[in-house]
Amino acid sequence: MAETMMAYPELRHPFEATPVHSEGSTTVLYGGNAVTLTDTGSGDKLLIDPADLSRINGFELKPEGACRGDLCIPLPDGALVEQDGKGWFDLTGFAEHVGQPYVADVEARVWSFSDVPATRDDMRVNAMAPDLALTDRSGEVIRIADLKGKKALIVTWSSW
Amino acid sequence: MFDVPVWQQLYTEINDENFVMIVVAEDTGGEATAGPIFDAANPTYVQVIDPDHLVSSAFNFVNVPSAAWIDEEGRIVRIDEGTYSKIHTFGEGDQAFEFGNDVYAPAVKDWVAKGADSVHVQSAAQVTGNIRQHSADQLKADAAFRLGNLFRAHGQEAKAERYWEMARSLNPDSINFLRQDLTLSEEGSAGETFFGVMGKYMSEGKDLYRPLDIEKS
Repeated sequence: MAETMMAYPELRHPFEATPVHSEGSTTVLYGGNAVTLTDTGSGDKLLIDPADLSRINGFELKPEGACRGDLCIPLPDGALVEQDGKGWFDLTGFAEHVGQPYVADVEARVWSFSDVPATRDDMRVNAMAPDLALTDRSGEVIRIADLKGKKALIVTWSSW
Repeated sequence: MFDVPVWQQLYTEINDENFVMIVVAEDTGGEATAGPIFDAANPTYVQVIDPDHLVSSAFNFVNVPSAAWIDEEGRIVRIDEGTYSKIHTFGEGDQAFEFGNDVYAPAVKDWVAKGADSVHVQSAAQVTGNIRQHSADQLKADAAFRLGNLFRAHGQEAKAERYWEMARSLNPDSINFLRQDLTLSEEGSAGETFFGVMGKYMSEGKDLYRPLDIEKS
């Protein structure tokens, strides 16, 4: 998973550091990540520069499909789109292909994606902990996958 | 939040370099709200403030406090229980009430000491049986909640509320989304609305947590 939850202790919420609907830009949320794209295709679909995919959700395009770690998902027909002489990756089409729900605020040009369901299969089937990256209060990133060799208790609370 | 300092006591008692305790605030109020509560406990465990409720989303928790035990191989060996650090008592006399339990913290100690030989370690089948399965609507609710957070972080309250409402309607089982939203209401997170929803929740036989099946030793 891409590094999530940027540490901005001075901010109420990390998303404060992400511009919304600045001139011509598009915002994509995935996990705790907020990525601002300045170059996207036009139309109702979210067409991104293929090079931007990995910083959005940690997947990379390879000959066998969109891959993250050991997981590779073959691309659906029409995933790569030609528009205005440039090649784009249809991120919303890919989401529909893999059963990944999303919510879009088209007016503000923000797309918020849920997890790719296949990334949760190892927990659902084998009880393996999710590949989660958390930033602690000091700004250090802790990846659950890096804790191997140690026991970990992860416990939630809230002020409310 | 009453458990925050008690987890530190447990962490100090366990004192094992091969044990990591990660305590996570599910709080859109962020550092301003959760930070002082952490600081008051002088914690040495890993402290995370999680305004987007990513941890609850990743483990499919619907309420706090909840937890997962992860072994040395990265396998979950217990999950999704009412993980209180002790029995908390409030008020006096007829007004006194208690919540929590006094079996969970000793179970954690036992597991850290004995590993796979601890009676509290569950099989993969038990654990997967206890992991809630998220529907497409529940996954979409996570996306809507975060979208609301983005707009709230930019002061766009109307849109923020619209997407939080969407999250609540797509995942009505999430007590986290409900109570986080109610923090912004006059009645607060433990008022009439919350108790109304809880009454309905219980009458429909839903569980906030999987059964805490730990015998007192």
